[in-house]
This record gives sequence, C-alpha cells and structure tokens, in this order.
Amino acid sequence: MSASRIMIIDDEKIVGDMAKMSLEQDGYEVEAFLNAEPALERLKQERFEVIVTDLKMKGIDGMEVLRTVKRLYPETKVIMITAFANLDAAIEALRGDVHDFFPKPVKIKELKTSIERALNKKE
Amino acid sequence: MKDLAGQLRSLFGFSQWRRKRAQLPFDLLFKRFRDVLDAHNRGIEIITEMGETLGGDYLFDINYISSSYSRLFTSVQECLQYFDALTQNRYPDLMNAVRRIDDQITRVIFDVTSPSDRDIVFYEYLKSDMSRETGGKNAALAELKNNLGVNIPEAFAITAHAFDEFMAYNGLTEKIASLRKEGNTAEHELAGLRKNIMESRLPPNLETEMSKALTEVVSRCGKNASLAVRSSAEDEDGEFSFAGQFETILNVPVEMSSLEEAYKKVIASLFTANAMSYQKRLGYDIGELRMAVACMVLVEAASSGVIYTVRPADGANEVTISSVWGLGAAVVEGQTGSDIFIVDKVTGEIKFKRISEKLCLITARNGGGTIKTEALPTERNLPSLTTEQVKHLTEIAVSIERYFHKPQDIEWAIDKEGVIFILQARPLKLVEDGERRTGERTGAEGHRVLIRNTGEVVCRGTGAGKVFIIRKMEEIANFPKGAVLVARNDSSNFVRLMPYASAIVTDTGSPTSHMASLSREFRVPTLVNTGDATGVLRHGQEVTVDIDENDHAVIYDGIVRELVESAYRKTGGMDEVFEYRKKRYLLKFVSPLNLIDPLTDDFTPGKCKTIHDILRFIHEKSVAELVENARYSNSILKKHAAVKLELEIPAGIMVIDIGGGLNREDNSGSVTYDQVVSTPLKAIIRGMLHPGIWHSEAIPLKVNDFLSSMMRMSDIVTDNSEYVGYNVAVISAEYLNLSLRFGYHFNMLDCYCTKDTRNNHIYFRFVGGATDISKRTRRVELIASILKEFGFTIRFKGDLITARIANISHDEMERTLDQLGRLIGYTRQLDAVLHDDAAVERYSKDFLKGRYDT
Repeated sequence: MSASRIMIIDDEKIVGDMAKMSLEQDGYEVEAFLNAEPALERLKQERFEVIVTDLKMKGIDGMEVLRTVKRLYPETKVIMITAFANLDAAIEALRGDVHDFFPKPVKIKELKTSIERALNKKE
Repeated sequence: MKDLAGQLRSLFGFSQWRRKRAQLPFDLLFKRFRDVLDAHNRGIEIITEMGETLGGDYLFDINYISSSYSRLFTSVQECLQYFDALTQNRYPDLMNAVRRIDDQITRVIFDVTSPSDRDIVFYEYLKSDMSRETGGKNAALAELKNNLGVNIPEAFAITAHAFDEFMAYNGLTEKIASLRKEGNTAEHELAGLRKNIMESRLPPNLETEMSKALTEVVSRCGKNASLAVRSSAEDEDGEFSFAGQFETILNVPVEMSSLEEAYKKVIASLFTANAMSYQKRLGYDIGELRMAVACMVLVEAASSGVIYTVRPADGANEVTISSVWGLGAAVVEGQTGSDIFIVDKVTGEIKFKRISEKLCLITARNGGGTIKTEALPTERNLPSLTTEQVKHLTEIAVSIERYFHKPQDIEWAIDKEGVIFILQARPLKLVEDGERRTGERTGAEGHRVLIRNTGEVVCRGTGAGKVFIIRKMEEIANFPKGAVLVARNDSSNFVRLMPYASAIVTDTGSPTSHMASLSREFRVPTLVNTGDATGVLRHGQEVTVDIDENDHAVIYDGIVRELVESAYRKTGGMDEVFEYRKKRYLLKFVSPLNLIDPLTDDFTPGKCKTIHDILRFIHEKSVAELVENARYSNSILKKHAAVKLELEIPAGIMVIDIGGGLNREDNSGSVTYDQVVSTPLKAIIRGMLHPGIWHSEAIPLKVNDFLSSMMRMSDIVTDNSEYVGYNVAVISAEYLNLSLRFGYHFNMLDCYCTKDTRNNHIYFRFVGGATDISKRTRRVELIASILKEFGFTIRFKGDLITARIANISHDEMERTLDQLGRLIGYTRQLDAVLHDDAAVERYSKDFLKGRYDT
C-alpha cells in the first residue's frame, strides 16, 4: 500500500515545516506550501487524500482552497486550521464541506487523529 | 545593653531605609501582597503553557507566540506595579531588568538577530543564552565545561556578530544579498566570493579583540601553544552535524597573521558548493547561515579518537570508542586503522576489543600545520588506550549523553601526561529504524511495577538508575551521577543535580513549580506529587522511570534496558525543523530559572535573565516585605482591636484579625481555640497543645545563665508598650504572622497557607535565649537540624536562625506548621539542659520520633 498523500498550506513556514516533519514520521507523504496559488497548481497535476489549510491567507484564502478542492476532487478531505481570533469565520467554514477544524495552536496528535479519521471514512 | 539591642535590630532587618518610608496600613499591604501573588501566578501559568505549546507537540504560529508573550508581559507588568506599590519602589532596577529581557524576547519573536555585540568570548564567560551568537559547537563545549565540569582545552569563540561585521566591513553583505536575490549560487560565483573573503581585511575592532585573545591564550598556556580553528556555524548543532562540511585548521600558531588566515579560511568554507547545497537542503538560502568560529588550544595528543554513545545502526546501549596514536584527524578521515573498544553502557564492561595495526599517525608540525609520519614498528600493534582509559572515557561520554539527553558523537584526546580532553560533542545521527513506537511498553515484562500512574507528569522521558533519596538539602552533595533523585518535596535547589539526574520523583509538588520548569528545561524525566515515592522506593534500589507520550507513568523495579535504549532512539524529530528551533529559542529568555537561592548575593534584579527570574524575585521580595511590615507595623494595632486567645497553656497570645481569621459573635475581649478559623494559626496552636510538648516546670538556671538573660531582658523589637509581655498574632483566614517571646528567646513566624501550592510559604526566625553562648548555639543547632528534616532551607547568623520553605501543598503546610508549633513549645527552655553536643543529637532524634517527654 502506498503512503497517503497530504498537502499543507499555511503562510507561516514554521507551521508547514512542523506539520511536514511530524506527519512524515508517521509514514505520510507530505508537501507543504506557503501560499495557495502554487498549491492549487500542484493539485491540478495530482490528487492528495487530505489537505490541511490555513483559513486566513493573503491572496487565495482557505475558503477558496476548499471550494477549488471540492470541485476538483469531491472525495478529498479538507482540514481547516486558523488563528483563534478567526473563530467566527471558522464556524462559517464548518457549514461548508470541511472535514475538521482546529484553532491554533493545534495539538499535533489531534490533527493526526483527524487525518486518520478522514482517511478511514473514505474507505 | 543598648548595643546589643541595636545589633539585634539590625539582625531583624530593621535597617535605615524602613524608618524613612511612610508606613502603609497592614490590611492594604496585605491586599497588595495578594495582588502581587495573583499576577505572579498568572505569569507562571502562561510560562508553563508556552513551554508546553512550544515543546514540539503543537503546531503554532507567530500569532500564538506574540499573543501569549503579550499576555505574559501584561501579567509581569501588573505584578511589577503591585510589587512597586507594596515595596514603595524599593527595587527600581527591576524595571530595567524587565526591559532588557523584553528586548531580547522581542528580537527573537520578530527575528532581529545579533543581540550581542561582542566579537570574542572565552568559554568560561559563554552563557547558554549566547548560543546563537557563538554557534552550536562552541555553545555545547562551553556548556559542558561550565555546567558539567568536563575538561575542555582553553578556548574562545569568535561570534556570529564578528562574522557580520567582517562581511559588512568588506562589502560582502551586499554581494551576497544580490546573489540571493538572483538565486545565483553557481560555482564560479561562490569561488569569487571565497576569494574575496581571503583577500578581505579584518575590521579594526575584530583585529584588536583577536590580538587581545591571543595575548590571553599565551598568558594561560605559554608561547608554544597553538590553536585548532574550526567552524561553529550558527545552527551547527541539533541534528545537523554539518560533519566535514566546513574547514578545520589545526596547529595554528598563536600569532595574528596565522589566526587571521585560519579565520578567513574557515569562514570561506561556508560558501563551498558542497556546503551550499547542504545548507539549501536544510532550508537556508545563501547568506542566511552565519558562521561563528571556535579557537581551541591544540592538545598535544598521545592518542585521540571518537566515541559514539550508542550503536548508530540500532541505538543499542553500548559505547563505541575508536582510537589512534597522535591527533584524531586520522580517525575522522579514516587514514589509518584504528583500535575499537565496545563497552556495555549498563555494566561498564568491555565487550569487544580490536587492536588494529596503526601504520601512521598525524602530529603537529613545528611552525604550524600537521604532518603524517609512520608509526614506530614497536608501537604499531600496541593498544592506543589502556583499560583504565577506556573506562574513564566511557564514564565521561555517558555523563555527556545524559546531560544532553541524546546519543552523542564525541571527539576526545589524551595528552602526553594522560589527561583526557573533550574536543567536540554533538548529537549522534541514528539510522532511522522506521518502526514507530506505540503505546505498549515492550521489554518491561518481568519487571515488577513499583508505581503506576500516580502523581503528575512534569517532563516525559525514560531514565534509569539507582534511587537516591534526599531528605535533607545537604545530602545534595553526595548525589551520585546517573542516580534517580527521590525526595519528599520538590525544590529548586535540585537544579544543581539536574545535569546528572536520570529522573526525578517526589512525594509532593506541582507541575507549575520552579523545579518543574527546571526539569523541563533540562529534560529530566520528572514525576511529582506521587504521594509516597520516598516510602515505596528504597535508597540504592535500581529502578526505571518511564513516562510515555500519553503521560502514562510507570516506575519499574530494575533497569529495563529496552526502554532506556528506545528512549534514545526517539530523539531528533521536531528539533530538525529550523524554524521551530528558532522560535523555541525565545523560551531561553522566558522559562529558565537562574535565581535559585534567595540567600545568596546573586539574588538581585541585575542577575535576572528570564521572565521567570523576574517573577521569582518579585515573589521572594514580596514575602520579605510582608514579614517585616507585619512585625513592625504600628498601624495594625491602631486599626484593629486585639483579643486575647484563651488557651490551656500560658502562651499569652493576642490576636489581631485582619480578615476572616476568627469566628466571633460577640465583642468580648477574648476568644478560644475553637473560634480560630485561620488555617495557619490553628495548625501552630494544635502543635503547641500536643500532649507532652509544653514543659511547664522551671528548669534551674545557673548563675552565668541568669546574668546573660538579664542582659537580654529589654524589649528588643516592639515599640508598643500596650502589648508588652504579650505575644502577637496578626491573622487572616489564610495568613499568620506570629511573634512569640517565651522566656528569653524570640520566635517569629510568617506564613501564607492557601489551596494554591504556589502561594504558600513559611518564614521562621528564631533568636536568642538565656544561658551562655555555647548552649544557645546548641539550641540553634538543635532547631536547625529538626527544621532541615522538614525540608526548610536554613541560614544562621550567631544565634539567629532564618528558615524558609515555599511552594508546598495545603496539607503539607498544615503538617509542617503543626510540627513547628511542637518545636516552638519543645525548645522553649531546652537550652538550659543542652550541656554537650551529644545532647543536641539526642533531643533532635527524640523530637523527630515524637518523644517529647525526656
């Protein structure tokens, strides 16, 4: 069985780097992007099982990522993370087709559990 | 007589400043004290939370860092504001300390580099908060030298700040910036850059500093010394060894032109094609990595080599030492056969030995550089290390591994006199075993579980060793390296043992104590509040403390090798993320505690290096302020009526209730013990009333006893004639300040006893007594020895004892106060019978065993 592929989009390098490191340790294949444009370009080439995206970013934001992903790959799960201050927006996002949502700081273990659940659900 | 009273006043801290200041009403003072404590506690909670969030288990962003730091800063400011009100601005320097630390933290948060402006630092002055400026190699070695006492050659660091200056002075900063902008790291550009560096001049500052450093080296090691000049790049630690990436120049003569040349060569090696691609892989663009340099006096090595503290292939718990004749470059560069010794880390026995034919050796050449020569035929096949040396090297290596909590790759040398030097210590990169650890603990089968899931986890990890139970603070001195520290209470005094302790387990304590933050800082597996670890674990017993990522804590009987080994396999991980390390760095200015002992001269605002230090200082000095004011405040008496406490014993205590300390319906002039609701006063009186405690029969005084007590009859501390002859207790529901004069000696007790462990403290002062000075001294010894048993920190001055304990739980406070009540009663007149030193020990033992009627 090949490793599940996960994409991280967050405009802060530290978030992507840390998420990549810990998810790779669990055997996932991970690609991290600092903004959404190149990430969506990449998505056109290849499908990812789970996308973890920041909600509030310059340019294309997390909601738009969600819409694009769902249009391209309805099966792909999207997990939204955001600064605590953006709770209202996050609740808004949850009304959409978001698999899960976490305010930052995110406990990595919880994120991993959520990813596992996202992958199981599909099968 | 007046002189004596004057002396005693000064012993009580009755110094000049306080007479000049206006006196605050005590209830206002007490309110401010509680405000200080509240703000202090909020601060400590945020520090704890930040430590946890930045510990690698959370994804966090800059927003989190800046918002939590701003919450922290707000609570520190509030704390300081109440503190200034409480002490009437007695510590103006504290604000400067806060500003200084805040500046350092803000620099880290907003990524402003170069907090230091020093070009050169000798290792003994290199502090851990300078590690970014001096690079990983320098920092690790200086830390080993300064904190662990490892023998490192004389050395100094040329800082990253010096590197910045050098590059800027020669116009290279702009050149690199433009290369970075173009994304151009073609080999010919890099070669041009290296050439520029070699042709550059040292900035005048740096030149002066270097020449001073060389003079210093000559004065320490003589003119014939030479240097090893090596890279110590800003981030050359963690999991990235940069092994062999940068230049090392050996045997550099101690003179300016040679050092300058070597320095430039090392700096230029940052820009080789190989080093550049390595840096790229780690996420650095050209120019982002700054290069500090290590200059270390070259050891004229008889033999040298490398130690791995675990087997890199699978993390097995054995030490591998490779060794050659002469300088170690032969091992590192694989130029000759080397001897191999494999030592079992647990038993210390040599499991395997291979003596190779060592055809050649590398030595220092006269006038600089190194030379490869053939080994003497008689020496080629001799072991380059004795069994004794193998053993000694293993011990050092294991202590370094334990200190850094990671397997180590260590370079060492032994000089012609047989002295061992450590030249480098860095994390050993292990081969990934791909196997993930799950919840269950394999390998522990067959080991009896001594303690399971009791207590609170302070720091996860696995540590094994012999149990060493500390009952009195002076036993700290006997703590063996690698032991498991077990104690009744947690104490920040244990910081001295943290470099050596395999694990820490305490009966009481909380995860937010000062000790807890130190444990996390030193990454010592630590479990507190276990209830009865000192009873369950035996002194000298071998145990394994294992606290996994789900906070399951188990203490096994014996050494569980598999657990210890796999704990080392788990290293690395998040530490490899540069951005993460960079941000976590700010914790260095937040959580470590440097102000440990309030009784030392270093306990000053100037010595505060972290926010935690600031809060600690405030806490300590607030208590001191309260103690002094409670004792001397006239205003308490004016404002509050004092009532007599009726007891079965003639203690003669007047009680002044400043809030909730008494349950009183009428306004009569007296209360009974049952009406006391103040927790600390109740506990103290309970102790005094304990059967057998109160010796009421008069003990005959001899003539010189009588004379000396006459000398001390005058009222030495109270100015309130109204209450002369009475003992005064100022109380609230949770507070007690008690002044007791029994016969000829004087007890003063100040304590705050709440449900929140961190608020709690007991200050106890004892002074004087009739009888001649040797008997007084014996009583002081008696009291001190008993207080030590209860975990107090003690200080003597003549026959004045100051004892303090803080941060213990509500229940523990009640128990301790009960015992203090007994002690006060018990020792009232004892000095008259303390005729010899043996009596001190006898009475002390009796007291601790609960035998009061001897």
